Parts: sequence; structure tokens; C-alpha cells
Amino acid sequence: MFGEQQRFMVLLIAPAALLLGLFQVVPIVIGANASFRDWALYNPKKTWVGLDHYKAVITDPAFLEVVLPNTFIFMIMSVAGALALGLGLALLLNRPFRGQKIVQTVLMVPLMVAPVIAAIMMRWMFNDQFGIVNAVLEGLGLEGQPWLVERWSAFGIIVLTDVWLWTPWFTLLLLAGLQSLPKEPFEAAAIDGTSAWRVFSHLTLPMLQPVIVVCVVIRAIDAFRTFDIVWTLTGGGPGRSTELFSLYAYVLAFLNLDLGRGSAAAIVGGLIILVVGIGLYRLVDRVTKT
Amino acid sequence: MKMRRRTLAAVAAAASLLVGGGANAQAVKELRIGYQPSPIQDASIAMFETWGAKKGIKIVKVPNSYGVYVEKMTASLTSNSDQYDVIWHNDDWGQLWAHLLESTDDIPGLQFAEKWGMDKIVFGNAQGQNTVVPMGQTFSVFFYRNDLVQPNEVPKTLADVVTMSKKLQAANKAKWGYVGAMSMNNSWFSWFWSMWGNNCDVLMPFYERDNKKLAAAGWKSGLDQPCMKETAEYWWDAINTHKISPRGMPAYDRNEANAIFMSGDAAFTVADSLWWGTFNDPAKSKVVGKVSAARFPLGPNRQKNFAWDDIWGWAIPKSISPERKALAKEMLAAMMVDEEGQMKLWKATGAPPPNTQFWDKIAAQDPFMKLLKEAVLESPDKVRGAYYFPQWPAVHKAFNDAVTKAVTGKREDIAKVLAEGAPLVSKAAQP
Repeated sequence: MFGEQQRFMVLLIAPAALLLGLFQVVPIVIGANASFRDWALYNPKKTWVGLDHYKAVITDPAFLEVVLPNTFIFMIMSVAGALALGLGLALLLNRPFRGQKIVQTVLMVPLMVAPVIAAIMMRWMFNDQFGIVNAVLEGLGLEGQPWLVERWSAFGIIVLTDVWLWTPWFTLLLLAGLQSLPKEPFEAAAIDGTSAWRVFSHLTLPMLQPVIVVCVVIRAIDAFRTFDIVWTLTGGGPGRSTELFSLYAYVLAFLNLDLGRGSAAAIVGGLIILVVGIGLYRLVDRVTKT
Repeated sequence: MKMRRRTLAAVAAAASLLVGGGANAQAVKELRIGYQPSPIQDASIAMFETWGAKKGIKIVKVPNSYGVYVEKMTASLTSNSDQYDVIWHNDDWGQLWAHLLESTDDIPGLQFAEKWGMDKIVFGNAQGQNTVVPMGQTFSVFFYRNDLVQPNEVPKTLADVVTMSKKLQAANKAKWGYVGAMSMNNSWFSWFWSMWGNNCDVLMPFYERDNKKLAAAGWKSGLDQPCMKETAEYWWDAINTHKISPRGMPAYDRNEANAIFMSGDAAFTVADSLWWGTFNDPAKSKVVGKVSAARFPLGPNRQKNFAWDDIWGWAIPKSISPERKALAKEMLAAMMVDEEGQMKLWKATGAPPPNTQFWDKIAAQDPFMKLLKEAVLESPDKVRGAYYFPQWPAVHKAFNDAVTKAVTGKREDIAKVLAEGAPLVSKAAQP
């Protein structure tokens, strides 16, 4: 049935497929099974409850009115912020200057910081009593703010932390994209005396678009499942005002210890991101073709 | 082929010997402790290590983060893993894990433990057996700065806290009057004590912990009661009107609140008594020797003092082997009578140790213990810090979400926000 070449190929794929099956597919299947059952973590009766957990999740006002809007707002703000900053930094780093390599290395530091550590650091920076941010504000004669008590300031800090963590990733990929662009169009524009803005908007951006779109798609899907920085910074609070989808599922499964309901929430979220992902991939496809 | 089978069988036998034999050998050589690093647990484990050194048993410490302790340990217990031989146990999870833990009734030395904290309503399993061995008493007290407030000036009521705080702030003696944690899983250090002190509670009937009675009352929440509105309004006013507490307080966890108190910026706080040692540690605190404790100030609805008294403890998972269970019990029995270790635990933390026989001796030497004995340990009016049914974490979260929303919103919306939160608390409590 298989020739030697096919067998060799199967052999090469097998370890990755096995790992993927064990650590991705099997847990998803177990989770999906739990989502249809009465599966409390402390006392798993595992009796069949059908779609009860799904109904409870999709009719939960907190999920519909707080969690989903928060998740999409976070996704858009975080991706847009990191993209804008990353693109700006990539453009700066694309020009030769003294110490460029050092600056480039320093800018990559956030990529090496664990999100939890970054979140703890930010929490203390924005602490209303000891934080550096309020110290600077008060030094300037302004009033310090209770950053984590107001919904939108707390949300802003979450986005800021995420943008700080992910900007280097955008920078790195966009810089690679910039350096792979053909030089001729830029040389022609220089000969024509085209302004820097027109070069950017009519040459750089359109030529870089495929790279940008791929970065946005990957990062947007990843942002949808952000958990660690939100849990560490606000725990979803004050109240539930900064709760994102991943926290919602986590609280159900591991704080309330209701693995069945938590799994249902996770699968609902998975389906949502699947739809969003398909839409984004179609966008990539369209951009690549044009 | 036969040869190959034989080889495979030999390898399998050798592997099973290695794994099984290894596990058995380990059973007599080491005990694994699942815990959360904290002064009281560290001091208690030091007693295990002393015992282990004498017996030739290695004590393997496996630290776990507080933030994920319950879920991680619950998963470990329900999966029948033998990852831990002894685990940190807490009244909050007394009923959550009761069916997964070994009975501790046969451990010698438990007759010296305090009865209130060991009550079967908290730690008893369906067979009426106990499932915990106390590590020490862990309850909060009202701490005040004795260099700023004389004993006769210590606030007796919540209104006194405001008056005294404003006086100290006006005199530039303290930046803040009161600071205490309020965020989720830190509700005890502002919300709960002030609520209990105002004749109020999370569920109704107030102060009731018998699940049958709570169920008979329909798991009704106390959130929409006038006493809770008063409590929320008190904190709203303390933060926004009187400005005796920081505006960031609704988001504080215990570490942030303790940091402000230890930096010398606040006159009053509520924290677990076991922080006494840290408050008086010159390496960590600027208020060393300037801290005293008192009874909780009371709200307008309550005249009689009350005390909150709970224990932290150790438990043994049912799933481990009989040899390990026996050894774990031997270690816990030794801990219960280790006078030297318990004295060290007291000195390091300020938590009354598990053996009540040592309490009088400590009180004779240390006025702080004398105060704890009078105000808490021997108080006739005690409150339990949690509820003892598996849905308690969900109830606690729903409660904290509602009161946080109330205190961070508009004052005129407090009653509405609490009324909206009440059915969510009741719903979370439904079995």
C-alpha cells in the first residue's frame, strides 16, 4: 500500500502526530465529553446532562454582556496597539544607525519576560500607594489614581501590558518583512523625490501587507485566549468588569470546580474563535492573492 | 519469537520491580508535603523535618501557589494520585475534600487540639470522622499602631474607626486610618469582619453554618439586607467621603494591604494573627514594636463583641498506601506534642499552636497570646470564617463581585447593585 518513500514520510510525521494527538486531541475529546456531563472536579458523577451546560453558558448575561465584549475589545486594542508600535519600531530599525544591534536586542527583552512576571511588575508599577506611575504623577503635581479600581483604567493597564509584551514580536517579524522587500521601487521613488509619507503609504505598507495580515491573524487568535496577565493584574475585577473569555472558563472549571460547565464554556469559546479564525484566514487568502 | 517474548517479559518484570519496588522503598524513606509557603506552614514543616531527621525519613517539600492551590490539590485528590502524603488543609475546603481524605481520629495527640476549629461541621466526613490535624489557629484580629493610639482610644465601633482615623490624619500622624484587603479571596480582611460586626453574613440565617438549615432557608443571600447595605456604604464613605482608606483598596490583596501597614502609612488594619511575626520583623516592617491587637470594632447593628476563630491544618489523602498513611500519622502525632517546635511556630508567626496545653505557658510569657486567649480563643461568641459546602468558592466569588461593584460604583446605586447580586449568590450556593 505504501512505498518506501511514503513509509519514511509517515515515520517522520509520526512523533509530531503522536504528541499532537496525546496533548491536543485527547484533552479536547475529554473536555468535550465532560461538557455534556455533571462533572464537578471534587465529585465527578459524570452523569449525562446533554446540552444543559451549553445552554447555561450562552444564556448567561455575564458571558454575553461582559465577557464577550471585553474579549473582543481586548483583542482589537491589543493587536492594533502592538501592530502600530511594532511597525513603527521596525521602520526605525530598518535604517542603519550606530548601536542599531544593541537597540534591537534591548527592544526584544519583553519577549523574554514571562507574562505573569510582566503582570506582577505592572501591578506594582500601577499600585496607588507605592507605584512608580503615581509617584511620577504626584511629582508633577497631579493626583495619583487608583488604577485597578476603575474598569477602563484597569482594562487599559491590561492592554498596555499585553502590548508591551507583544510589540517586539511584531517588530521582529515586520523588520524581517521590511528587509526582504525589493530595493528597486524605493530607489525609483527616491529618484522621483517622493515624500517619506508617500513612500510609506504607497510602497512600504502595500508591499508589507501580507506579512502584516499573517501577524495579525496569528496574534488575534492568541489574544482571544489571553489569561495569565489578566488573572494576575485584576483577576477579572473590579467585580467582573475586566473578565475575558479565558477567565470565565477558568473560574467555572477551576474556581467553582465545575469542570463540565467550564469545558462547555471553553468549547463555546473555541467555536467562536474558529469562526473568527476562518474569517481572518479568508482575509489572508484574499490579501495574498491580490 | 519465544526468545523475544521471554526477553520482553523479563524487561517488563524488571520495569515493574523498578517502579513498584521504588515506590515501596520510597514509602518508608520519605514523606511528600504539599503546601503553600507561608510563615505558619514553614514553621509547622520545620517540626516535620525535626521528626524526620530523628527517624531517618526525608521530608520532601512540594510548594504550591496559593492562587491555584485548591484546584490543583482537588485534581490531585480526585485522580487518586499519590503525589502527596500530607497536604495543607483549610476550613474553607473542609467539606470539599472530606470524602477524599483519610480519617485522622486515630492520631494520638488530637485530644489536645482545640474543639471549635476541629468541629465536624467543618472537617467531618459522611461517617462522622474527622479529616484534619491542626497546624495552628488562623484568624484575623484588628491591629492598631500603639505609638499613635492609646489602649483606651482603640476604636470600639466602625464609627470610632472613622473618628480616630480622621484625628490621626489631621495631626499628620498617619497617611491613612484603615487599610485592609478587599479583593477576591481576601474578602475577610475588610468585608467579612465588618459585615459580621454589623450582625450580617453572606447567607441567611446569619452566622449559621449547618448546611441543612441553610438549605431549608433556600440558600438565601444576605446581600440585599439593610445590614449589608450599611456595611457597603460604610466602606464607600471610608474611601470616598472620609478618605480614611486608600481609593485603591477595593483591588488590594492581603500583601498590598499589609505592605501599606508595615510601611507605617496606616494606623489600623485587619490581618491574620500569624502576620504578627512579620509585622515585628525589622527586615520587613517599619512598625516593629509599634503594633498591638484588639477586638473588632462593631457596626450599629451589634453591641456584643465577637471573635473569628478557625484553624489551618494538615490532611492525609485517602489514595496513598497504608504504609505511607501510617507514617504520615506518626509524623503528625509527633508534631502535636512537639513543644519546642510549637513554641518556635508561635514566635515566628503569632498563630496559637495546635496543642492547647501550651497556650497558658505562652500566655504567661507573651501579652499578645494573653490578648488572643481572652479576645478570641476563649470568646463565647465565635464566628466561622467560611461556609462548609462544595459550592462555597462560587458563592464567595459571587459575593465579592457584588460588593466590589457596589463599593466602586455610585453611592446611590449600592442598594440596587447588592439586590442584583443577591440572587447570583443564592444561585451559586444551590447544590
